[in-house]
Amino acid sequence: MDRWLRSVNFTMEGVRAGRAYPAVNIYELDDEFLLTAELPGARVEDLELSVSGGVVTLRGARGAETDVNEERFRRSERPRGVWERTLTLPARVREDDLHAELTNGVLRLHLPKAPSTQARQIRVVERSAEAPESASAAEGTSAS
Amino acid sequence: MSNGDLTATPAPPAEEPPRWFCTPPIDIFDTDAGLVLRADLPGVTADDLELQVEDNRLTLLGKVTPPIPAEARLIYQEYRIGDFLRSFILSDDVDHEHITAKLSDGVLEVTLPRATTNTPRRIQIRTQ
Repeated sequence: MDRWLRSVNFTMEGVRAGRAYPAVNIYELDDEFLLTAELPGARVEDLELSVSGGVVTLRGARGAETDVNEERFRRSERPRGVWERTLTLPARVREDDLHAELTNGVLRLHLPKAPSTQARQIRVVERSAEAPESASAAEGTSAS
Repeated sequence: MSNGDLTATPAPPAEEPPRWFCTPPIDIFDTDAGLVLRADLPGVTADDLELQVEDNRLTLLGKVTPPIPAEARLIYQEYRIGDFLRSFILSDDVDHEHITAKLSDGVLEVTLPRATTNTPRRIQIRTQ
């Protein structure tokens, strides 16, 4: 968790001052991480996603299609412009096996966990009764 | 929520957690025909959007279905998933009867045509 918080890169400070755009959530499932981002109005061709060395980069532009004269605006709250987000992933993912969907302005980026980050089985070996006394003696020494 | 009463807080069904409302950012601009309002409603489909005009108030309510599996564990959060709610007071210049709206890629666009009330209305006088 600490790594997540530290890794967030607010280089762009968002399109509007003080807030990173787009807002991102990250979820963990058994076999993958799922990154979601709110990107209303975004189309697939406006987005550029890349993952390299455990770092996800999302790039895009919004509002470029707006053919409205600035003088016509009575209210302008929606973010506009070019944006970029960079996030460091908390664990290794299979960088060659990513896929993303864009539905109703919500991006979902699936990041399958690399095998090494899945729960590791620790084998318990039954110990042969070779030197049980020396083991208990060692225990006793360290405890006293 | 099917009664359309947006002034009262709708009682959620027992199994649902309390709903969280977000105020969506909007743009409003003039066109030759009237006004256009655009609102960012990521995650809202046309079926989940209620748009109504009551008296001179335009209210939009977009319901969001979380786009994640129920078993997903949130490990990093920058935004809350909630429904979008915002209302506006329409001036008399707006032709309330001819408001149209469309929703695409999570952006709502509402067209508010200017009322043509400034053309003198002819009053028929019937003679008996």
